[in-house]
Amino acid sequence: MKLMLLVFAVFAAESLPVSEFRTLHRQLQPRQDEAWRTIPWKVSLLEAQRAAAREKKPIFVWAMDGHPLGCT
Amino acid sequence: MLDRASTFSDPRVVKLLKTKFIPVAIDQAYQRRQQDAEGRFYQKIANQGPRKVGRGTTQGLYVATADGRFLGFNNNRGPDRVQRMLHQALVDFRPVDVRPIPRGKPDAKYVRIPPEGGLVIRVTSKVLGGYAETDDKWRLMFQQSLGRDNLWVRRDEHQALAGGRLQESLKQRLARFHLIDNTRGEPPMWKAEEIRRFDVSLKGGQLRGTVHLQTASGDRGYQADLLGFVESKDGRVTRFDVVVKGMFWGHGQYSAGAPKGRFPFAVAFTLATGTDVADKVPPQGSRGWLDGYIR
Repeated sequence: MKLMLLVFAVFAAESLPVSEFRTLHRQLQPRQDEAWRTIPWKVSLLEAQRAAAREKKPIFVWAMDGHPLGCT
Repeated sequence: MLDRASTFSDPRVVKLLKTKFIPVAIDQAYQRRQQDAEGRFYQKIANQGPRKVGRGTTQGLYVATADGRFLGFNNNRGPDRVQRMLHQALVDFRPVDVRPIPRGKPDAKYVRIPPEGGLVIRVTSKVLGGYAETDDKWRLMFQQSLGRDNLWVRRDEHQALAGGRLQESLKQRLARFHLIDNTRGEPPMWKAEEIRRFDVSLKGGQLRGTVHLQTASGDRGYQADLLGFVESKDGRVTRFDVVVKGMFWGHGQYSAGAPKGRFPFAVAFTLATGTDVADKVPPQGSRGWLDGYIR
């Protein structure tokens, strides 16, 4: 019985406690005030072309391998 | 990722882009290949720069007019150089009367639309420790970076989740394409056979489990615990908050510079609200083979 409790205690200690879940989940959220996130990015070049034609502005293209706003 | 923390964190660059330009962010691996209006417009711009379509990557920062006239290129993330390029582009820029380019029929091979009736879940990741101390600002950016991606959930998987069940297909996708260290660049995904163990149960709205992912050679792996909370209302999932935390080791060809040995690493999931433009970005794992990702 003691052995079973010990095994249970070891496994219970290894799993992720709710308090740590809360801390990590908060820690891993992107900050709203990050400067690059305040830029009004479009994700379609044709939408950008349309806006550039309408607003008489040049298009700035951030072209990466992997999506710049996602997994790069 | 470095660009987000360097070039696009510089207040001068940010101000210029917000006021004088139409900024667009793309994964050029799509546009340089697309045989449609979107692709042709990109290829027209890129081919006027130093990197030509058909000769590998065309990645970089471009400025062009609405009729596709090239105004500048830079592939250096130094904010000073980017700022100079932007100023020069503004000097050279002459507004033109041009019509919007009709979208036409998109190249189906490169269309990425979230599954109808499904879910988009934001995925973020972070190395929690293990890096050698450094004063180098570029290394620090890597060390502090947050990986970002989106997980797509099919309609049937969504319905199952709302009913308190986690489908095997979603479990596999989550492990293979989202328990990855994408904090320093494009990482390798896991092969199906590299999922050594993924025991996870959904009971009473709580997801709990353990995962062990490892390559055949053992040079890369992740052993972690998972805890999450799923809530639903009227057949729709209203909460999907999950954290996976454990020890990671190794790196990929394009994600070098990981801490030596095993290091603490966490991944978090939360429902996308559609309020962030990045919610529209397709999962990295769907790149090149959507069916392989969403199956």
